[in-house]
Amino acid sequence: MEIRPILSALMRSKTGAVLVAVQVAISLAILANTLYIVNQRQAVAARPTGVAAENDIFYVSIQNMERGSHERQLAEQKRQAALLRALPGVMSVAQTSQAVLSRSGNFTSVYIKRDQAAPSAEVSTYFTPDSLVKTYGLQLVEGRDFRPDEVPEINDDVDTTFPKVVILTRAAAQQIWPDETSFVGKTLYKGNGADDPALRVVGIVERLQTQVGQVKPRGEHSVLLPARLTGGRNLLLYAVRAEPGQRNRLMQEAEQAIRKSSTDRMLVSIDTLEQHRKERYRADQGLSWMLIAVSVLLLLITASGIVGIASLWVTQRKKQIGVRRALGARRIDILRYFLTENFMITTIGVAAGVLLALGLNQLLVSQLEMARLPPGYLLAGAVVFWLLGVGAVYGPAWRAASISPATATRSA
Amino acid sequence: MFDYYFKLGLRSLRRNRALTALMILTLAVGVAASVSTVTILHAMSGDPLPHKSDRMFVPVIDILPVQGYVPGEKPGFAQSQMSYIDARNFMSSNVGVRRTVMYGVAGQVEPARKDLGSFFAQGMAPTRDFFAMFDAPFLYGQPWREEDDASGADVIVLSRALAEKLVGTSNPVGQRVMVLGRPYLVTGVLATWDVVPRPHHIIGSKGAFGAEDEFFIPFASAIRHETEHDGGMSCNGDNNVPGYQGMLKSGCTWLQFWFEMASSGDRAQLQQYLDAYAGEQRKLGRMPRNAPNRLYDLNEWMSFLQVVDNDNKLAAWLAFGFLLLCLVNTVGLLLAKFSVRATEVGIRRALGATRRDIFRQFLIETAVIGLAGGVLGLLLAFAALAVVSQQSAELGTVAHMDIPMLLLTFAMSVTAALLAGLLPTWRACQVTPAIQLKSQ
Repeated sequence: MEIRPILSALMRSKTGAVLVAVQVAISLAILANTLYIVNQRQAVAARPTGVAAENDIFYVSIQNMERGSHERQLAEQKRQAALLRALPGVMSVAQTSQAVLSRSGNFTSVYIKRDQAAPSAEVSTYFTPDSLVKTYGLQLVEGRDFRPDEVPEINDDVDTTFPKVVILTRAAAQQIWPDETSFVGKTLYKGNGADDPALRVVGIVERLQTQVGQVKPRGEHSVLLPARLTGGRNLLLYAVRAEPGQRNRLMQEAEQAIRKSSTDRMLVSIDTLEQHRKERYRADQGLSWMLIAVSVLLLLITASGIVGIASLWVTQRKKQIGVRRALGARRIDILRYFLTENFMITTIGVAAGVLLALGLNQLLVSQLEMARLPPGYLLAGAVVFWLLGVGAVYGPAWRAASISPATATRSA
Repeated sequence: MFDYYFKLGLRSLRRNRALTALMILTLAVGVAASVSTVTILHAMSGDPLPHKSDRMFVPVIDILPVQGYVPGEKPGFAQSQMSYIDARNFMSSNVGVRRTVMYGVAGQVEPARKDLGSFFAQGMAPTRDFFAMFDAPFLYGQPWREEDDASGADVIVLSRALAEKLVGTSNPVGQRVMVLGRPYLVTGVLATWDVVPRPHHIIGSKGAFGAEDEFFIPFASAIRHETEHDGGMSCNGDNNVPGYQGMLKSGCTWLQFWFEMASSGDRAQLQQYLDAYAGEQRKLGRMPRNAPNRLYDLNEWMSFLQVVDNDNKLAAWLAFGFLLLCLVNTVGLLLAKFSVRATEVGIRRALGATRRDIFRQFLIETAVIGLAGGVLGLLLAFAALAVVSQQSAELGTVAHMDIPMLLLTFAMSVTAALLAGLLPTWRACQVTPAIQLKSQ
């Protein structure tokens, strides 16, 4: 391919070439970074909670204005759970102090020695008097679930009793004891004071995200604690697993059953794990869609720019093309000329774009705490713009190739 | 002449419709993207109390144990709120013009109307000064009295929305409403309070752009009834007394405190008070970290707590990169458009038009494109903002256009188009009439 005449032609009309190269460079810089951000956000939003068949889970939350004595509250909790369990289509019910990804709940610091200065981990606490392992379908990888005799009944208003046993997620256990592989039987302390409660590990579950679902490994630092709590804010939360496909029907039935069963003044509300997940990642999804929209527009605009400039050149060089054709150049030669020319410009643009993308990424890393761009995205971006360039220039180039040799003879 | 060139411009736009449409669309999309993201950023980072934000202060003291302290580290969540002990001490201090302490409360509202079941509502428990400090607008009545703060009286200020839900549009002042399981006497109703970011709600996950608080009850009343708080709390190990009273005595931080000073110059005075207070507390064995005591004015507080999150900034930056691309693209397209008109320029020049005339004509034509791009960009921006506000309630409160933004849009798109048009226009002026005429 004769590169030299193309180059010398390019040097004579630099403006258009520079404009195309600049467009390619800007687009590549933005595209590589946005695609990476979209991919990252999607990966974050796709992380598993550890809950099996999430779409079968819903929650009943009850706030009773007439809370009554400790004993009455205990009886109410047991009655409500039994009522929900009795509904046909309900597979499992577990009362819990918080719901995964609901963005509302508690963290606590845990220690492995009583006088340790800094905590071993900051863990999310799921208190449950039932089997949350069973209702959530958590995968036990070591040890066992809680036994009924391990569930204390605690009046939070007057009593500082604390559970004696704990189930950890594998991530939390590995954070606390980084060098170990087996965790059952070990002891943890909730706090580093002399009389802070000790907890014996009875089980390890593969995964259970926290109520927040942080992006860092901390997002899986959760613990399950067996306890039936009364007092406090008196908000009761029941996680319910429905038989597949029965969730939406059961949500209404559960609410009605609870309302009908008591004359107390109470607020009952229902939501689902699916809703919690959607809410948790709403901002990430919103940003992803915005970035995808920008990327598509980016490609369209860059393509239109290339078409525009290429058409201009074809119009300007009509006569020269005619002369070349008259002197024996085949159509394919003309076509190849424009494709090569465009490929050269795009390549310059891509090279500048890679540098610009790295610069933009550096800015995002330093100013907005984004992650560093892996080189794969630059390569992918380069390929996209080479293809885009060839695709966009093909139309005008074909028109150029169709110019008849006679054109050369028509005007002076 | 302007008139004539304007008409020429319009006529020329019609000549090559595809190209014109492409140019206008490119400009419009670029302008819409940048205007809509900047509008959101602008609303999010706006100063909600411009006339007094530099004399509204949040005190930040560190009462955590020495363990785990890294000297020089930035205050975290635990330090950004306050314990009951410190809040009470600050309240009784008499420092500044006004002071308020508050926390979020939430629970059941039981309407007297039989056609409406009970429902959940979220509110705040501040002191009386809150309303004056944050410029809360009253529709009916007024804040509760100082005595109510002292006695913890069961009085309430309702939001307009909650008042209308409970009693319609009539004035409910003097009536009692059942909130949090207790009858509260209404002393006032706020008018719609749509300030963003909500200055007293900067802390907390979504507060700054969230819905209005539905009701306000005196802090002392909420404490007296042991009303559970709705929001984040940070406790360190030594909280061993169970129950609500235990929490009040503990080092748990869960309250938000604000000072209003007479002028921004009183900051040093407030800082002195804070240091003196910390010194006293240290004598009592509290605040062992000896960490610096800090003050944040409203705007500093907003940036400290990152009211505008990085995603919004990212969106705005990328939108501007996008606008830049659209401009480069427009330059290219204009170049293409003008270069095929070399003949026309040649004839006009030969007939006596100066370079200046040609320049003016082409620039006006460019401005017409810019104007069209601006109008379309504005429409697109409206559409984009409508889509964004559908995405979430929080964005709904910030995603609306204001007049300055509207004007900025126009100015921006026309200027951008003119800038983009400069190079092609200059190139068009370089046409030598003789060569053009000869080649015909």
